[in-house]
Amino acid sequence: MRTVDAGAWREEWAAARAAGAHYFDFLTAVDRGDRLEVVAHAVDLGTMDRVLLGTSVPTRGGRLDSISPLFAGAAWHEREAAEMFGITFAGHPDPRPLLLRASEGAPPLLKSTVLAARVAVAWPGAAEPEVRDDGRRTGNPSRRRQRPPGAPDDWLEEGP
Amino acid sequence: MSADLPAPSQARGVIGLVASACTSCMICVRECPTWCITLDSHTEQVDEPGARRPRSVNVLDAFAIDYGLCMYCGICVEVCPFEALFWSPEYEYSEVRIADLLHDKTRLGQWFETVPDFEPLEAGSEVKVKKVPR
Ligand code: SF4
Ligand code: SF4
Repeated sequence: MRTVDAGAWREEWAAARAAGAHYFDFLTAVDRGDRLEVVAHAVDLGTMDRVLLGTSVPTRGGRLDSISPLFAGAAWHEREAAEMFGITFAGHPDPRPLLLRASEGAPPLLKSTVLAARVAVAWPGAAEPEVRDDGRRTGNPSRRRQRPPGAPDDWLEEGP
Repeated sequence: MSADLPAPSQARGVIGLVASACTSCMICVRECPTWCITLDSHTEQVDEPGARRPRSVNVLDAFAIDYGLCMYCGICVEVCPFEALFWSPEYEYSEVRIADLLHDKTRLGQWFETVPDFEPLEAGSEVKVKKVPR
């Protein structure tokens, strides 16, 4: 993958398209913490040469020029990335939400977004196999409480 | 399984449980990304002839997989250190009521009866061989 400046994103794709990469394959984003990495892929179907470009925008309030005016097929991908990661694609021909209602809250694919279903449901892994009927744990008491893998530290705060 | 549409033997159709092999270690429950496995156990002291002290063993009281949530990732089957979970290619268990997709220990044990012997279907797949206890 070649990484380009966010400011040059549309120009780079215009150049790739002019060079023959007419077939748009996908565009998506990855939450890297402080930055969102945006990646897109297109193919020159004559030569089967592939173009894979990446760029990055801030995790909050990221903006990128839309490439939908260049590749009509990018429109849905950008709409999805917009609602899932909170990126604004400037110059998108039809920026309506694709899958979610516009009123819905934080972008669901940001790692900082806590899933409501996860807060409402108790983690089944919290139970300790060696808890006795009287509730005392018979295992090593200094053992760290188990937490769901991948969950932020401030989740599921437990009582004393 | 439907006779006219048999699934390949290694298809991820449903998970079978060997309750007698499960030590209630909770590893599968904790690794499951969708939190769809629930397990309940208690500890019993077992006197063994010749042993000085009774031994503590975990007894599995309940084990259930909610197939309404399971995403068939296979992590539970891979992480189980005691070879208690196996894939079966059986896939016909749709339900009218979503609550009926919760399969308990008995049902998961029945699914285990349908687990086929390992078949090396592709080059290199021998490394994944897991002996099915009979
Ligand atoms: S297959 Fe994946 S989602 Fe399903 S029970 Fe196992 S770990 Fe959970
Ligand atoms: S990982 Fe295996 S042994 Fe441990 S609780 Fe799960 S099924 Fe039982």
